[in-house]
Amino acid sequence: MRKKGKTIRPMALKGNTVSFGFAVPALALYTVLLIVPIIIAFGFSFTSWNGIATTTPKFIGFDNYAAMFQDERLGNAIGVTVTITVVVVVCVNVFGLLLAMLLNHAGKMTNVSRSVFFAPYVLSTVAISFIWLSILSYTGILNSIFEALGWEGLIKNYLGTQQEAIASICVVEIWRTLGFHMVIYLAALQTVPADLYEACTVDGGGRWHKFRYVTLPLITPGITISLLMSIINELRMYDIVKVLTDGGPGYATETITYNIVTQAFGNNMLGYSSAIAVFLFAVIATVAIIQIKVTTKKEVEY
Amino acid sequence: MSSNEKRLRKRISGFSITTKVIMLIATVVVAIPLYIAVVNAFKTNDAITSAPLAPPLQPTLENLEYVLTNPNVNIGEMYFNSAMIAGFGTVGCILLSAMAAYYLARSRRKSSKNLYMYFLFGLMVPYVIVYVPLVTIFKYMGLMGNLPTLIFVFISGSISFSVFMFYGFIKTVPKELEEAAAIDGASPLRIFWTIIFPLLKPCTTTVAIFIGLSMWNDFMTPLIIGNVKTITVGIYTAIGPYSSDWGTVFAFVLCGSVPIIVAYLLAQKQFISGLTAGALKG
Repeated sequence: MRKKGKTIRPMALKGNTVSFGFAVPALALYTVLLIVPIIIAFGFSFTSWNGIATTTPKFIGFDNYAAMFQDERLGNAIGVTVTITVVVVVCVNVFGLLLAMLLNHAGKMTNVSRSVFFAPYVLSTVAISFIWLSILSYTGILNSIFEALGWEGLIKNYLGTQQEAIASICVVEIWRTLGFHMVIYLAALQTVPADLYEACTVDGGGRWHKFRYVTLPLITPGITISLLMSIINELRMYDIVKVLTDGGPGYATETITYNIVTQAFGNNMLGYSSAIAVFLFAVIATVAIIQIKVTTKKEVEY
Repeated sequence: MSSNEKRLRKRISGFSITTKVIMLIATVVVAIPLYIAVVNAFKTNDAITSAPLAPPLQPTLENLEYVLTNPNVNIGEMYFNSAMIAGFGTVGCILLSAMAAYYLARSRRKSSKNLYMYFLFGLMVPYVIVYVPLVTIFKYMGLMGNLPTLIFVFISGSISFSVFMFYGFIKTVPKELEEAAAIDGASPLRIFWTIIFPLLKPCTTTVAIFIGLSMWNDFMTPLIIGNVKTITVGIYTAIGPYSSDWGTVFAFVLCGSVPIIVAYLLAQKQFISGLTAGALKG
């Protein structure tokens, strides 16, 4: 018997090995416009450069990184980003899974509901942020409704204080991404074979047992992916903050990404902002490596 | 046994009625902001404030007219820029990435594994890190605000994802076809375009939806690199952060989102599977 790898191949195939030239255009563009700029950003992070073309960047070693620990404004931005990340990640994953489980039983309504839930994710964040700005502002629609109902006590600027503004940002982001995570969970749930549930029923298991001992272990890969994707996504939060609060009041709702952009292009601290960007890169890369490890690993089969 | 079965069935049907009610409520709640945006685009500001949830009983086209005809707004220019970016960006990225992925998937060289990892590296980069270097370089070279430059930037930012998707797909395409074509004397380039690329169509559709939509919707990149007035940047600058002229705001939102809304209504399944493909395929 001939082994599979040792099948005799015709001579003509020798010329058929795909040439490296196929990869060159993509490789060139990717390297010049993505990889080289990242390397430059690393370089900038060790300088005190202010972006004025006539001056040369001055090397200051790790001073920028040391300065990050003293930076109250950055500390606030990290706090805001972590708060948003925790709240949104927990909510979209818990509610996403719950909705997916309900939707799995909803019959004819499934398709309509899925389309509606997913719709905010398709629109641009700028567009949906403006819709929510018109709802949450002091002169906005929510307050108009409260006024019409006579609930004067609830009328206020829902973007006015740090706490309320962060809560509002979370609501918008949850509303935007909930459908996406629901669809991931729906796909995960549909991989669970129905006979396992039957087996659980035969064994006398109730609804909770089915969830705990059949559903949960089988959708673990889906949960992991959904969690990691939402974490990476929220750590990069920018658009909604830009439109809803513009970082305000003061700099109370700045996220890390917002802080980097403001320091770089508002305050011309290109060296310092690059150091913060490198820090954010390190954080996100760590989560992303875990994600790639998980996605490329074969799912466990039962 | 049969009574047990009956009880079970009863429980399931009871479960599904509550489920339907909960889903209905949840769906309506999620849809409300979208409903608000659509109906209020056709109302005057007074009507919006007095009855924001009412349908437009005396519809006005004032808001839409302002957005579509005001020369200061110039929505045509915004559409042109966004269409060029999403169109050329998507096509360019797909062509380059499919070819690169073909090499990576078929090459038996060890270095190609490392090259694949090099391409995947872009997936873990927070894009904000490249803005300072790119803006610095583009300012120096006088390329700020240059549309073709921005298109190339968008392509470079989507190559990682596209290569990742195409690589996985090409691995599932059997080699026999290209081997037969090679025996017939076709050149590798010709084999790729006439045999392989058409076979990649399902993957191409997925990638096109994913990167096309992300390019059309992107806000940060055109805002920071070159301040090119795309739909998103144009709407943002036209409304400004402190507007409370909600009728106009809704009209902007509606006008800027119409192509996506239409496309989504026509091809929901493809949109949903395309946008979640990155998460579901490994």
